[in-house]
Amino acid sequence: MRADAQRTPCAVRVGVAAILCASGAVHANGSDDDCNGPSDDCVAIGRWNVSVALGAGVRTNPLISGKDIPLVVIPQFSYYGRRFFIDNLDFGLTLAEHGANTFNLIATPGYDRVYFFRADLQNFFIGFPDASAPLRPAQVTAGTPGAIPVRPPAPRITYLAGPEWTFKYGPVTGQLDLLRDATGQNSGDEIRGALGIPLLKSRGVMSVNLGFTWKSAATVNYYYRVPILYAGSAAFDPFIKLGYTLPLAGKWRFNAFAEFERLGNGIADSPLVAERSVATVFLGAIYTF
Amino acid sequence: MAAAGVLLCLSLPPPLRASAASGDEPGDIRLELSPRICTLTGKDAQCDTVVHANWRAPRNESLCLVIVGRPEVKRCWEQYVEGSYSIELVFSTDLVFQLRDVDLQQVLTSEVLRVIREAIRYRHKRREPWNIFD
Repeated sequence: MRADAQRTPCAVRVGVAAILCASGAVHANGSDDDCNGPSDDCVAIGRWNVSVALGAGVRTNPLISGKDIPLVVIPQFSYYGRRFFIDNLDFGLTLAEHGANTFNLIATPGYDRVYFFRADLQNFFIGFPDASAPLRPAQVTAGTPGAIPVRPPAPRITYLAGPEWTFKYGPVTGQLDLLRDATGQNSGDEIRGALGIPLLKSRGVMSVNLGFTWKSAATVNYYYRVPILYAGSAAFDPFIKLGYTLPLAGKWRFNAFAEFERLGNGIADSPLVAERSVATVFLGAIYTF
Repeated sequence: MAAAGVLLCLSLPPPLRASAASGDEPGDIRLELSPRICTLTGKDAQCDTVVHANWRAPRNESLCLVIVGRPEVKRCWEQYVEGSYSIELVFSTDLVFQLRDVDLQQVLTSEVLRVIREAIRYRHKRREPWNIFD
């Protein structure tokens, strides 16, 4: 896995080229012919979409002494122009859209910082941040026997940018992002891929999402490297999520999900990391304004 | 509802002096609506507004104001040269206001209160199984 993973930067470049070629092969003009009204798949152009989830949940923090991230109030917003879109903290430009395939250029924040800083912006969108509660690993006092002085990691906010291919094949939704640090912090690469598969559709929808995040060694080390002690390699983090959504009265809908993500060895082997996985559960209701 | 129409006739002000022009045709009766257009934004399902209807004729007329498809709305005048009527309406499609003779057999004139929906265009949402709620 690691050997394969370390060759992937080349795969990233090939993938980027393939996606860009594919986007040029489809119609230059976006095709929205099948979007004539609001639906699960379609959204009005030029309008803000705002919702908030209220409930109870938690995302575990894999760091040593890392505090779990509560999921209580989760605001979500998006805006779609003809090409440009904002999707929470993601920005994007739709290059081409044809039938079931959409090709975007996106910018999205680097994710792992959420484990180190409770006040990270992304925690606003997955939970209820408490800036006074640092998530960084605990420190021991100077002079502790056996302790090696190590400067604690302080990752900055990073943004990754790159092409994105999303598609729909029957009821299955797919997403593939090929990303690179665009903020000059670590020059790391990241690949995010996922499939959304509806399992049950009656009044409510039950679905399973299967996916992964691949992080290059540069990305992994930006967050999890410990000087002198540890330098990580690329990591492949698969995840599975089971979710259920049920429309309620008015603009409310019930939502529950459970997600399990296994951390790749490059991350899990870091002395900063205590758990080899991250679990997320949430039970609540979403109100759409 | 007919009783309401009669009651309305009794409450009308005295008729104005009739025009001397005997050659005027029913087509010379003018009906004006305010507002003439109702614009629905994306979030509005229907118009809810007070509509003012004013009519004027070159001579005394006996007629009734009706709205096509709204049998509950009927306002009649007997030997009047002009009249006005205000009503709060809730509607989502064009409303056709007609002035008819008192037997409601002949349409003397009509006006349309148009409903215009703001043109909303749609596009595909970003499909993102990687996201927390997708």
